[in-house]
Amino acid sequence: MSETTSELGSAPAERESELKRSITGRLLFFYVLGDVLGSGIYVLIGAVAGEVGGAFWAAFAVGVTVAAFTGLAYAELATKYPQAAGASLYVNKAFKKKGLTFMVTVLYLSATFAAAGSLAAGFAKYFGELWELPPTLLVMIVFILLLALINYIGITESVVVNMAMTIVEVTGLVIVLLAGAIYVGQGKADFDTLTDFSSGDNIIFAIIAGVALAFFAMTGFENAANVAEETINPQKAFPRALIGGMAAAGVIYVLVSIAAGLTVPVDTLANSDAALLEVIRAGILPISVSVMVTVFAVIAMIAITNTTLVQVVTQSRILYGMAREDVVPGVFAKVHASRRSPWVALIFSAIVVVGLLVIGSILNEAGFKVDIVERLAAVTVVLLLIVYAGVIISCLKLRGQGETEETFRAPTALLMVGLVGNLVLLYYVISTDPTSLLWCAGLVGLGMLLYVFEYFWGKKDDTNRSNAPESEV
Amino acid sequence: MHVIVAVDGSRQSLAAAKQLKAFADPSKITDISVVAVTRPLAAVAFADEISGNKVRSESGEVTSFREAAESAMQKVASVYDGWGPKVHQRLRSGSPATEIIKAAKQLNAGLIVVASGGRGISDTVLMGSTAQRVQHYAPCPVLVVRPTARKPAARRSRS
Repeated sequence: MSETTSELGSAPAERESELKRSITGRLLFFYVLGDVLGSGIYVLIGAVAGEVGGAFWAAFAVGVTVAAFTGLAYAELATKYPQAAGASLYVNKAFKKKGLTFMVTVLYLSATFAAAGSLAAGFAKYFGELWELPPTLLVMIVFILLLALINYIGITESVVVNMAMTIVEVTGLVIVLLAGAIYVGQGKADFDTLTDFSSGDNIIFAIIAGVALAFFAMTGFENAANVAEETINPQKAFPRALIGGMAAAGVIYVLVSIAAGLTVPVDTLANSDAALLEVIRAGILPISVSVMVTVFAVIAMIAITNTTLVQVVTQSRILYGMAREDVVPGVFAKVHASRRSPWVALIFSAIVVVGLLVIGSILNEAGFKVDIVERLAAVTVVLLLIVYAGVIISCLKLRGQGETEETFRAPTALLMVGLVGNLVLLYYVISTDPTSLLWCAGLVGLGMLLYVFEYFWGKKDDTNRSNAPESEV
Repeated sequence: MHVIVAVDGSRQSLAAAKQLKAFADPSKITDISVVAVTRPLAAVAFADEISGNKVRSESGEVTSFREAAESAMQKVASVYDGWGPKVHQRLRSGSPATEIIKAAKQLNAGLIVVASGGRGISDTVLMGSTAQRVQHYAPCPVLVVRPTARKPAARRSRS
């Protein structure tokens, strides 16, 4: 008997050797790359081209750079506090203000809702290229519901599936690059387009407009913080994988937009529903165009699916965490008995995203002409810019606390540039597109509603939980 | 004999741990390894529903999934307090079934105890449950503790 207790007493020491972590630096790199690649380039490249003109690759370059500077802050904080994943907990560490932490959480949650909506609409556009019959709204809704189901089953957890999806995403972009390279090789490329800022009267504003949209292309990288705790040797591996993944995505983005800009007239890109398909349609590759269009549309849909899946996982994770902290109703912490998935949170998230899509479609019907993809992307960007700025400020404020020899330290100057970049973009997006604030307010209001609900009617959940352990003994 | 008791944080897994104690002969068991697996890419990497620990510690910090898994293991390990065999706690991360089987191989286990929460068709039709996959690929016998019909399973296993 004494043996048992002593064994238990010494458990921490023994457990130390048994802390098996499963995420290697390389896996994390592919995770970041897969998260990031799906979103913007497939969905938004046409819109960015429309804003900037032929030189839209520059918008991607700037957008990726600003996002990467924010990534540095994430890398520093994640190595410092691997167990406290995500923006809201960093802000909590830095300011210890409950209200502020709650706001950041709600802003981030709203951003993932808007992002999922935008991506679903982008998915529907590629789907429409393959099969026009089903109504767009139906495709979007079925897409979101299927993702909730996939998340419930747990396919997203498979490292192999993640890796495979990332490889598919990269393949799609390599096809575009190949087309571009062949086109250049044939001597048909007109390199003047690359310096053409046709659409804007002012080059700076044209670029900023593009950057704001291109920024959406980088969303997803912050999800890497969720797995910091499970990363092997995080102090070294995490910054490398995160910044490496973002840099790789950035290089791919710039090359792809150059290829697209060279091979297809900017007007065609800007007016296309599925802009990267236009590159394929240009018929540069020595393979049947109709076959390639189908293949490429499928690749694009897989890429978008992968990124949306991560958003859906994040939504339910945030709701679960908030419910455990008693800031939203406790039902969101309900985990399915054998699947171990937070099914209430999953259903709720799906309903919210579908709601966004339905509202967008109704506005369209009513003649407001909303491009759901761009609208929700702008909303995502506004929300994320606030959150990212908060993370950078937290990072700077937490300097000198909890640092060890091994903590990754982001260059302060770059963080400052990142912060200024975020705020400039935020100002620009809000001033040129005030309606996006209405959408933001709607989403944040929903979060507030949950809080109020828990505040007034939350008592019941509490007693339930404290009773629970007794009932099973 | 080395016995592995898998913990997923559910009440059912606590009931499974008690089930082992209800019938097994402690003098035949040398070691018990309580194994928990966190799933880093899942929405909820580990949900602890048995330890009753609050989410927040004294400092107001939110506990991590790893800590949730550790308190769940602690709770299950305490079932065997004073029973005889040495109790170890082993935390792994990855896919639950794979990691449980790997642990069984590494420890040369003689028995794996798992809970099966599955009642509905969702677990049979979709993908199969962790318990099923452990049964199919385990290097040793497996005790699958199923939920009892109506009353909580724990009530019976206590006797």
